[in-house]
Amino acid sequence: MKTVAKIGGKVAMFAFLAFVGTFTLYMTNGENKLIYYVIRPLLNKHYDSQVRDRRIV
Amino acid sequence: MMFDKVIAAVDKKLERFDPIWQAENGVGGQRDRYYDKTGVAKWREWRGVKDTMVDYGAWLKNLASMAMMVASAPIPCLKGFWEYRWMGSYLGTFMFIDRLFEGFRGYELVTAHKCMHAIVRSLTKKIAFCLSNDRRLGGGKDTDRIVPMDEVLPPLFMMGFKELVPFPLQTLPEFIICDVDQHIEPYYIDVAESFGLPADVCSRCAAETGVALDDAFPLIGKAMISTNMPCNASEATSMFQRRRIGMPDFPVTLAMIHNEPGAHPYSTQMLKDAIAFVEKEYGVKYDWDNLFKYAKLMNEQNTIELEKWDYFKTPYSALCGIAETLYRLYAWASVNGTDPYFNKVDRQVIKIMRKAYEEKKEPFGGRTRHRAFLWGPSAVYYTDFPTWIQNCWGINIVLNMDSTMGHNMINTEDPDEAIKDLALFSEKATMRHHAVGGWDNVNAIWEWAKNFNCDMVLMNDNIACKGMLGVHALMEEQARDLGFHFIFIEHDLEDCRTVSRQDMRNCVNGYMSVVLGEEPLDPTLVEFDDSDAY
Amino acid sequence: MKDLKHLIYFENLLQDAQNELVTKAVEDGQIALGYNCYYIPEVLLNLEGCFSSRLRAPNCTSSDIANYYMTNRTCPYARSILERAIEGGYNYLSCLFGAESCATMERMEEHFFLINPVKHDGFFVTQIDPPMKGDQTNLDYYKAQLKLKVVDEMKNRLGVDVSDEAMRKAIEQHNELSRIITEIGNFRKLDNPPITGYEFHVIQLVSQVCPHKLILPYLKETLEEIKTREPEEKFPFRARVALVGSEVDDPEFTKLIEMCGAMVVADRYCFGSFPSREQIEIKEGETAFDAICRHYLYWNQCARFMDGFKIDQRHAIAAQLVEDFKADGIIYENMKFCEFWSYEKVLANHIFTNEKHIPCCTIEKEYSLGAVGQLRTRFQAFIESLEIKSIQGGK
Repeated sequence: MKTVAKIGGKVAMFAFLAFVGTFTLYMTNGENKLIYYVIRPLLNKHYDSQVRDRRIV
Repeated sequence: MMFDKVIAAVDKKLERFDPIWQAENGVGGQRDRYYDKTGVAKWREWRGVKDTMVDYGAWLKNLASMAMMVASAPIPCLKGFWEYRWMGSYLGTFMFIDRLFEGFRGYELVTAHKCMHAIVRSLTKKIAFCLSNDRRLGGGKDTDRIVPMDEVLPPLFMMGFKELVPFPLQTLPEFIICDVDQHIEPYYIDVAESFGLPADVCSRCAAETGVALDDAFPLIGKAMISTNMPCNASEATSMFQRRRIGMPDFPVTLAMIHNEPGAHPYSTQMLKDAIAFVEKEYGVKYDWDNLFKYAKLMNEQNTIELEKWDYFKTPYSALCGIAETLYRLYAWASVNGTDPYFNKVDRQVIKIMRKAYEEKKEPFGGRTRHRAFLWGPSAVYYTDFPTWIQNCWGINIVLNMDSTMGHNMINTEDPDEAIKDLALFSEKATMRHHAVGGWDNVNAIWEWAKNFNCDMVLMNDNIACKGMLGVHALMEEQARDLGFHFIFIEHDLEDCRTVSRQDMRNCVNGYMSVVLGEEPLDPTLVEFDDSDAY
Repeated sequence: MKDLKHLIYFENLLQDAQNELVTKAVEDGQIALGYNCYYIPEVLLNLEGCFSSRLRAPNCTSSDIANYYMTNRTCPYARSILERAIEGGYNYLSCLFGAESCATMERMEEHFFLINPVKHDGFFVTQIDPPMKGDQTNLDYYKAQLKLKVVDEMKNRLGVDVSDEAMRKAIEQHNELSRIITEIGNFRKLDNPPITGYEFHVIQLVSQVCPHKLILPYLKETLEEIKTREPEEKFPFRARVALVGSEVDDPEFTKLIEMCGAMVVADRYCFGSFPSREQIEIKEGETAFDAICRHYLYWNQCARFMDGFKIDQRHAIAAQLVEDFKADGIIYENMKFCEFWSYEKVLANHIFTNEKHIPCCTIEKEYSLGAVGQLRTRFQAFIESLEIKSIQGGK
């Protein structure tokens, strides 16, 4: 019973922390800021340096 | 009960963070949350406890779908991000969803997210499947089972090939992604124009051509199906895709002037020819029972859609604006009865709609001032335009032209009747039935607007759409004669550089403030710079 | 060269849609049937008792009223035709047989029944849904559309005899006219032709806009005249080009190219003789109507065809014309705002330049030749490049 409660407690704690983490990320719009200001500029740099096989046929 | 009281108390305490409250009380509004130009919000919208949790829950679900996509095909996904510029744009999906449902609360938020999640779920699966089988990235076990099809051709008739997977070729690199990121297609348009294509052709087709010339289509399948739908430029761009992709192709040229009895036998025969082509190229046999299985799903989708229309006609529809438009467009054009999950969502959504109607619950807190029917091909780079127009001016777009696509039932017992029904159904595809193919098709707007109790018609004025430009004055004269408020909204479909989002907003701002003399619901939305936003 | 006897007369006939021959035919009780596009078989409109009139809007310098209806972002040909209709330029027509050849054309033709610009008792408009492929399914559809919206309408509304016999006779007459035009056109194959591209353009145009019966004697006489016409001592042009593309109904455009130094030796464009002046053959067991439909579908070179056969055919035919008429290069033109030819032009430029190794110059034009400075510069540069190529032995 004690073990179950312990596991339950840990799951609840994990769930709570996961909620706090994801909700904070959500509310602060963190993932979009990361994508807009960091990831996409890097990706665009890569795309701009690509040599594409650009032709009609 | 106690819980509700607590929530109400928290809501009261935090209401000053709610942009709708801020706008109503003259202390801000939706746009205050954003960094200038970028479209990046400093923080997400506070909608009250319940609605914020609904939005947060939907965000988690969509995040999970994306994680599933990467987990199901990690290497192809990474390779895809590395290879295709358009893949990078999919990272803007969360920002895209946020701006679509800005200002949504209550039932309309719940239905919107249900619909949107169905799209995200379907698209992420499609992306993973496509990249896993893309020859350029190494191919996969299903590469030769896929039939790449023009995205404007409804794929339902292809479900008679149970061994094959019809795949809308242009959807991933061009159509959907332009919704997500307004800056992606101009790159491909420039590629096409660098080969001498004039800038006055439809930008959607120019973008498709650019994708082909830039060698950015995934390489899937053994033979492809192109189409003459919806219009001239679309037909013409097929020439380039045919040559660049270099596979045997079959153009499904359905009747253009299709509102007459003589057209249907031709379109029916055309579908039969297409089936024969696929049988020959893929060495498989058409299975009518398999078609019937999916036709039933499509019939159910359309039956529910027709019921939805009854609610759209009232002020109490829980599904509206962009949520309705985008879902119907995707569920019809891309899914077309091929994914039972959409039937599940339809059943859930209609339940909520019935409930909202019984409770006489108006969407957007009853702030709607005008009911509008949206006609003409919409700007793909400004998908959240219906959201903006509701939040800024209280104009609720109750139905969009594309939502009226083929809604006839398909016979599910007799192959001869089924193929005829499919021809009729396919003739009324995206943009096709409404913008081209005869005056009656476009002139039908007034009847639709009247039936859906609209006092306003918003006419998308794609500056390169020859079919719609050709009726410019007649539409305006009709609106005047019939007493509708009528606004032309100029745009360039997929090229945000020609007519910016703000230019589009100005078309509405001018009419609402000068002609109707109305005040905006949220003054922060009247004029703002989102030129660098996705 | 000595001036052609009827050239000025022909030029005058092109100054107005309702020229003196059209007026005379209508006064004689002939029914004038308007059309815009090759998809409507000219031969059908020349059944006994009626005559075809392919619509042009000569000297249309402004399309302000049509711009109001269709904006200024649509094909200037379509707008000019609408403008001319509103001005009353087509009041001699009993009907317009339209074709949904493109969205703009369809919209323009719709205005003919929506705002009723043609003031003629009983005037009506029909529009066929033309095919986009050359296969049997499309041929069947083409036949059905032509029967329903052209032949049956002529019979029921205008009382025209549309029997097989009448059609055979119309084909005979059409073939005779076509033979004369083709014979005149073939002189352009000569190293030093006794006719210019401009003159041929004028001749071809009058054959399309005038009642065949009335223009035929003049054409016959002109053919005889050309047979004995002395060409210039030396070929007066610096190069020979084939003009390929969409709608060109203004001979001044051909004149512009020729004034830049290149003779237009082949005319593969809407209103040109390729296609339009091929002989219609009736195969054994075939009805005249079937032969007409098959013929027009096969020869149609419109850029809206989507199937591989038709796409390849239009490039192959243009290349064949270059060879037959000894052209040094191709000028590929399209009307501004034309979706089909805008795309086709890009593809054709690639195919001719890189695959068929035929020098190609692509240009976009307005309907009325207002500002031609830019075009002249393009043509001069292209012709110079052809000349240099010729001096360098084709390298």
